Amino acid sequence: MLNLKNWLKLPAFWLILASIIILAILPTITSSRFILHLVSTIAISATFAASYNLLAGFTGIFSLGHAVFFGSGAYVLAIILFKLGSTPLFFLLALAVAIVIAVILGLFVGYLALRLKAIYYAMITFAVAELFVITADKWRELTSGQDGLCFQLPEFLSGRYTAYYISIILLGATILFMYRLLDSPTGKILVAIRENEVRVSALGFNVFRYKLLSNVVAGILASLAGIAYAVLNQFVMPTILDVNQTINALLMTIVGGMGTLVGPVVGAAVITLFGDWLAGLAKISPLFERWPIIFGLLFIVIILSMPGGIMSGYYRLKSKVFRSN
Amino acid sequence: MDIFITLTINGLATGMLLFMLASGLSIIFGLMGIMNFAHGVFFLIGAYTSTFIYSLTGSFALAMLAGMISGAAIGWLTEITIIRRVYNNLVGQILITLGAFIVLFEVIKIIWGPNVIPSPMPDLLQGEISILGASISIYRLFIIIFSCLVALAVHLALAKTRLGMIVRAGVENSEMVKILGVNIRRVFALVFILGTGLAALGGTMIGPTLGQIGPFLSTQYLLLSFIVVVLGVMGSFIGSMVAGIIVGLANNYIVWFYPPAALPLNIILMSVILLIKPTGLLGIKEEA
Repeated sequence: MLNLKNWLKLPAFWLILASIIILAILPTITSSRFILHLVSTIAISATFAASYNLLAGFTGIFSLGHAVFFGSGAYVLAIILFKLGSTPLFFLLALAVAIVIAVILGLFVGYLALRLKAIYYAMITFAVAELFVITADKWRELTSGQDGLCFQLPEFLSGRYTAYYISIILLGATILFMYRLLDSPTGKILVAIRENEVRVSALGFNVFRYKLLSNVVAGILASLAGIAYAVLNQFVMPTILDVNQTINALLMTIVGGMGTLVGPVVGAAVITLFGDWLAGLAKISPLFERWPIIFGLLFIVIILSMPGGIMSGYYRLKSKVFRSN
Repeated sequence: MDIFITLTINGLATGMLLFMLASGLSIIFGLMGIMNFAHGVFFLIGAYTSTFIYSLTGSFALAMLAGMISGAAIGWLTEITIIRRVYNNLVGQILITLGAFIVLFEVIKIIWGPNVIPSPMPDLLQGEISILGASISIYRLFIIIFSCLVALAVHLALAKTRLGMIVRAGVENSEMVKILGVNIRRVFALVFILGTGLAALGGTMIGPTLGQIGPFLSTQYLLLSFIVVVLGVMGSFIGSMVAGIIVGLANNYIVWFYPPAALPLNIILMSVILLIKPTGLLGIKEEA
């Protein structure tokens, strides 16, 4: 464990401190709704991508249905506040229900499917995600189907900067939690499972139980990201549950750097800013409305040429610089 | 009774289309070990190309041919440019086919727009005939007969030719085939072309049954073909045919009783089968 004196020498420490301060005072610098919304979106995407990274990057489980956790969190909040009323009590109730649902889902799908081979697991989670999309689409009395569900936030959340701070704090807490988790014996075992499952199980660890744990924890984090999403946008629709949402998180993780702590944050920032810029170009030429194609190409290029993403490029550069010293 | 016959014929037609899509997926997986998440897009390529060519030329046969060729050609390009690089990388395969899915899907939307477009029925195959008091669409009969012919041709090619023998041997044990001096990479490419071509050929016939085509077909049919592949057995051509028909029939019967339940029930069916017997319900061969 590092003590404070060593901390002060680390450039990463100063970088983190600086970004915390900037993010904390950002609303006093600019009151532009657009910028705050953009930063909040990045933070929420980063939280979601980080939760996916715990699953795919650290434990080596590839799910195509991770958005189910995200979407169910958002939908639970929306439905409870919309149907029962916007009071702080119901908000807490929604929070509790969302977490319970995430745990049940994570345990249920994981318990049944995590024993299968990677490809079957990807297929089954793909199917589960479609099942949720269909439900959200067809159960119109509850979800309003394709029209989506608009709802009111309780008073204590409706402040101008509340959603912004919720998103930022959630991201910070997630990163801190991931840091502690990966530093713990449990975290080491998860990474070991990714590297060599057979060996871990030969050492006497119950691989399945650790995978299940990773699935549930990633599910809870994704569900919290979904709740933050709902608080920010006050609107949910079936597309937040579908496979593309998961692929998005995958893309952010891959671009930033799979299996690194900061990778998903870097990836989320790059993809969100880049996507926003490209979508803005749609005014110039309608061709830019199809901007995801650029991400698809980027995705393929990174997988083929730079499997570690931006962060691995950074680490490689850093180690080169240090070696030359 | 007559509604039962109509539903059965419609179910058989859907089943045969699913078989065209799923058999390619299944053979590719059986031989190369690659689950092609982009497979639904090849179905879409066939559907869009044939609709486009039909509106240009008015010849449905030409449209089907063009659809199949474009699907196979793009399949070939995909294989040699990206799939080939991840042969021994399981995670890379999942990711790379997802990447191919995003790119091809967006290309289709660039060319034909994101909304549904009408897909008319060819004049020659319009109308209905009466069997035992039930009116049967001629077009659906055409789908069933034509797909059976294709299935027969592919089955014969797999069973009787030397190449087919290599493919079947490769599904059983690709290491051994490699040791025997076969250039397995070339066989991989051929199988990928065959699989994507079959998917596209299936896609060429979907438009007129729905009256319109749109990007949504891709995910929906990919999911259905997953169900077929799981129900049949990975790598088995005949297995995917039986499974395709079962899913097609089940789908049509359930739709008649309660439409929203059709896809969910199929998904649950697939999940249950995957959990109980991941090698496929109708499977004889244990997969390594």
